[in-house]
Amino acid sequence: MPRALWSGSLSFGLVNVPVQLVSAVRDLDLHFHQLHEKDKVPIEMQRWCSEEDKEVPYEAITRSYELDSGKEVIVTDEDLEAVEPRKTRTIDIEQFVEVEDIDPIYFDHPYWLVPAGDDEGATRAYRLLLGVMEQSDRAALGRFVMRAKEHLAIVRARDGALSLTTMRFHDEVRATKDVASASGKSTKPAKEELDAAVDLIEALGADWDPDKHDDQYRKRLQKVVNKKRKGQKVEAPEQRDEPDAVPDLMAALEQSLKDARKKAKA
Amino acid sequence: MALRSIWNGTIAFAGVFVPIKVHSATEDKTVHFHEVHQDDGARIEHKRICPKEDKEVPYKEVVKGYEVSEGKYAVLEKEELDAAAGAQSRLIEIEEFVCADDIDPVFFDKTYYLGSQDTGKDAYRLLHDALDKAGRAGIGRWVFHNREYLVALRAIDDVLALNTMRFHDELVSVKDLELSTPSRKPSSRELEMAGQLVESLQADFKPEQYEDTYRERLLEYIDAKAKGKVSSLPKRDEATDPGDLMAALEASISAGS
Repeated sequence: MPRALWSGSLSFGLVNVPVQLVSAVRDLDLHFHQLHEKDKVPIEMQRWCSEEDKEVPYEAITRSYELDSGKEVIVTDEDLEAVEPRKTRTIDIEQFVEVEDIDPIYFDHPYWLVPAGDDEGATRAYRLLLGVMEQSDRAALGRFVMRAKEHLAIVRARDGALSLTTMRFHDEVRATKDVASASGKSTKPAKEELDAAVDLIEALGADWDPDKHDDQYRKRLQKVVNKKRKGQKVEAPEQRDEPDAVPDLMAALEQSLKDARKKAKA
Repeated sequence: MALRSIWNGTIAFAGVFVPIKVHSATEDKTVHFHEVHQDDGARIEHKRICPKEDKEVPYKEVVKGYEVSEGKYAVLEKEELDAAAGAQSRLIEIEEFVCADDIDPVFFDKTYYLGSQDTGKDAYRLLHDALDKAGRAGIGRWVFHNREYLVALRAIDDVLALNTMRFHDELVSVKDLELSTPSRKPSSRELEMAGQLVESLQADFKPEQYEDTYRERLLEYIDAKAKGKVSSLPKRDEATDPGDLMAALEASISAGS
């Protein structure tokens, strides 16, 4: 099991469920080091004072916030502690909402919640909350503090465990009305066009099967690294040209639909 | 306000091409700081130092190395890294269309809005309306910043949106967890009571109801400090252990009604 990043209790009403938080994603990226080209020695990052032009030890560093006016305000650890939310060990459930009502755009980082320890009271409270969420198909919205920052989070039942996802705040999600969406009467598709497009989409329909999509980039990068290790040469692929927008959309749709149907039959 | 586009290209599926531009759909509003030197308040600069020569290394002399064994690195040239990125293209190729509701949100990473281009407005609208009507999301690949992403194309409100996706092996499965189970399952009475409690806390999801109060407090505090007046903040209580589950449920419900 991944390492616990946070432990505390999930509380709704007067019921407290002792839980631990573990990440629901793992980092599989290949990581590189910066090297000095000449001697292949890993680069060291040093912090230097821009005024005195000398290295500054970590303990002598603090932070500043730049106001809109350009003025800088020093913010010390004590300052951060002063604003740090006090309730640091609870996920406070405020409401239960329909999962479908939340567009995934609000979802940020996914975690799992597991019962803290195998204490009977804790595991039963966990099962109870899980059971009632599975039954009602609702998700719990709440707040909790992790790494000195307060997060909005959604807790829901997923695959027989409680899943927690931190959420983006509404002002961190941009409005769709600022996006050029070609809406309006002149671009409204004719019924036959829309039907043909839906038919085409259905002809290319498939079940969502995450297991069949692999990270090709990671695989190729791993291959490049393996080749290098053996001292082999790696060649770059060619660039491709960009196609023009299709002048006759209906003709393209009909042709594509024909092709897709032929393929489905074969 | 016009959104800045970060990529321009074309959505392609089965011979249909829709020119689009890509915009970030989200912006991180976390309060960020600069590192400064305590003694003089001057900004900190990060310098790249070669420890062997003990001198600063200009960026153009820095190469990427992969550690193949302890202290041994394979150097990767830019062209070699490009080879891994995949065929560079201005195309987002959609391979298939799945039921949008079948994709669990844990797969979604970052969201982008797609804007229409001056050419191909009809195609943009048609694709949007057809996805919306079919309730499907297009699954495809997108090469962005030298890296290939799995993406889902779907309709949000009046626009097309693109989500970069996490790969299946990047997600921790429930099988990887240690879920201890109680000797006795919750009783139907407990489930019923908990159900009532959930019902009493039921609400519609209204994102604008939830403000980032931490960010607000922090910015207020900084503002006060800039003006030379810092106030103290109230403390809140901690929660206690689960204790008697049934009693807690009953107390919660009667408190709510």
